[in-house]
Amino acid sequence: MSPIILRVILVVSLALIVAAVVLSRKTWLPGIGHGIPSIWRIAKITVAEARRRRVLQAVIALVVLILLSMTFFSSVTPEEQAKMVIDGGLAAIAVSGILLAIFVAAFLIPNEIESRTVYAILSKPVRRFEFVLGKYLGALIVLAAVVAIMTAVLVGVLVALDHLIKDQAGSVFNPNLGSVVFASVMSYFSLAVLTALIVLISTVSSTTMTVISAFIIWGVGSAQSLIYGLAEKQVGATKLLLLVLYYLVPHLENFDYRFQASNFVPINLVAAAGALIIGFGYTVVVLVVASVFFSDRQV
Amino acid sequence: MATAETVLQIEGLTKIYRSLFTPMGVKAVDGLSLTVRRGETYSIVGPNGSGKTTTLKIVLGLIFPTAGSTTIFGKSIAELSVRERIGFLPEDAYLYDCFSGEELLDFYAGLFGYSKQRRSALVEELLTLVGMQANRKVPFRECSKGMRQRIALAQALVNDPELLILDEPTSGLDPAGRHQMTLLIQELKRRGKTILLCSHFLAEVEEVCDRVGIMYRGKLVAEGNLSELAGEPEEVVITFRGLDRLGPDAIGQLRDRIRAAGVEIASKEALAEGEEGPARPAPSAVALLDSAAGEIRLPRAVEGKLWQVLQAVRDAGGEIVEITRPRPSLQDIFVRAIREEPQ
Repeated sequence: MSPIILRVILVVSLALIVAAVVLSRKTWLPGIGHGIPSIWRIAKITVAEARRRRVLQAVIALVVLILLSMTFFSSVTPEEQAKMVIDGGLAAIAVSGILLAIFVAAFLIPNEIESRTVYAILSKPVRRFEFVLGKYLGALIVLAAVVAIMTAVLVGVLVALDHLIKDQAGSVFNPNLGSVVFASVMSYFSLAVLTALIVLISTVSSTTMTVISAFIIWGVGSAQSLIYGLAEKQVGATKLLLLVLYYLVPHLENFDYRFQASNFVPINLVAAAGALIIGFGYTVVVLVVASVFFSDRQV
Repeated sequence: MATAETVLQIEGLTKIYRSLFTPMGVKAVDGLSLTVRRGETYSIVGPNGSGKTTTLKIVLGLIFPTAGSTTIFGKSIAELSVRERIGFLPEDAYLYDCFSGEELLDFYAGLFGYSKQRRSALVEELLTLVGMQANRKVPFRECSKGMRQRIALAQALVNDPELLILDEPTSGLDPAGRHQMTLLIQELKRRGKTILLCSHFLAEVEEVCDRVGIMYRGKLVAEGNLSELAGEPEEVVITFRGLDRLGPDAIGQLRDRIRAAGVEIASKEALAEGEEGPARPAPSAVALLDSAAGEIRLPRAVEGKLWQVLQAVRDAGGEIVEITRPRPSLQDIFVRAIREEPQ
């Protein structure tokens, strides 16, 4: 059986188990608060808070500087320069996005508990899962804004370079804008999956443990092919551990389209759609589990 | 037993915190039972660590009890219909500090699903009630402690709650701020709100509360209204004047006349200086004379000699100003209740 089918079976089984747990909890059933409006208001205040803390502005400014600095390498050929700017730009977006996702998501719920701002919210008609979903949605909007701004800057840099180099005779600079935007969007979806997992961990552990776990998950998730290869060569407990990691940790590398974008390789849309479907299912399951855990958390 | 008038019912509530270092657990609340009735202001008082805040957090569903139950309006706090009807002011006003009072109130009102128009009207009304119109745009982190506490109270009122739960509402406020907050609580009481208040500022509790529960080491050690808790007055206080102008012997003569009337008397000044033996509190059957204040304190045991003592004051040349039977303050009741608890 192929690993992808196994993962689909695993995600569906987990979803069924979680659904059974949720339905067995009476406290979940009576009413869903003000539902979407509550989730949306919590998301909005999360975004507004992030905006006012000015951390995002600092991250965006740093990445924009990195992107702009790539335009100064003029000693390479136009093809090499395009490849370098696309690869470096997408890498900068991915890394800064992941760091931001880890630090935003890891503090999302623990901060509310430590600063006790959660008291005034949970004493209102807000279900705990609405709070978790609201915080998650807020983080997603923040990350979307950051990735969108950085992608726009990268696209702007590529268009400007294309325009400048086109004036030179015989240039073959290819900005490959469609693939760049596609890679950036996929990178954002990997952040969405990672953020959900970090939110889940943060509902049961301290901020420090959450940050450490998030980095480990990022590392494992980005090297799943390597882990599967290692697992095949091992036996016993080590093999089991590696397989558990392989099947449980999201395959973030499936969302990585940097190589295709910078090497002008055609994108396999079916594989991308598969990654998105599995990622979406995985995220739903993780958020439901996070909500169940947070419902039992003493704040 | 819960009745239609019961707003909050706590029965046999116990909370034990367990950790790796305390496997047996620490009992924060121990078999607490109490009832808050519609329209009354009930205060839980107790020293720090007596379990007051833990009790409130269980009532609000923020933490879960080890045993026992709490119901509000006859239902569990898990039901959203209950949370539609309560307001909570957390201790030390924990709200998002990068937003202004106006923004915060709009946000909290939004959690009740109110429309934008209703929210705007509510924000105006609440800012006026708590006197924050002029500072409505000031970020919470830049507000003074008193301003923060008023915004926090306003957020507890966004749904016009029937039950208001206030955790240390005057904690950290200066005397002026404390006075303002006490006035606000009195205004809410006048509007018919049921109020559950936790505090260790006994003076404010005395000013606003109908009933008091004294918590100590997680247990309710005394409960009732202030007169029930105070019990019978312990003494009669006779205030007199006019003896000081008769010279230094007049007080001595008064003492002799009271003794002649069959009442043992000690003077406060002498007790303090040790003139009549080492400084000690007057025994329960001994009257106490405070010549500087112009007072004689007659314990309950010798109250039968009141007329003789009054006559002695008059005979010594004094004029009776007032006869009172002072009730013990909440502070006295609190200290007595705790002292009576086994250590």
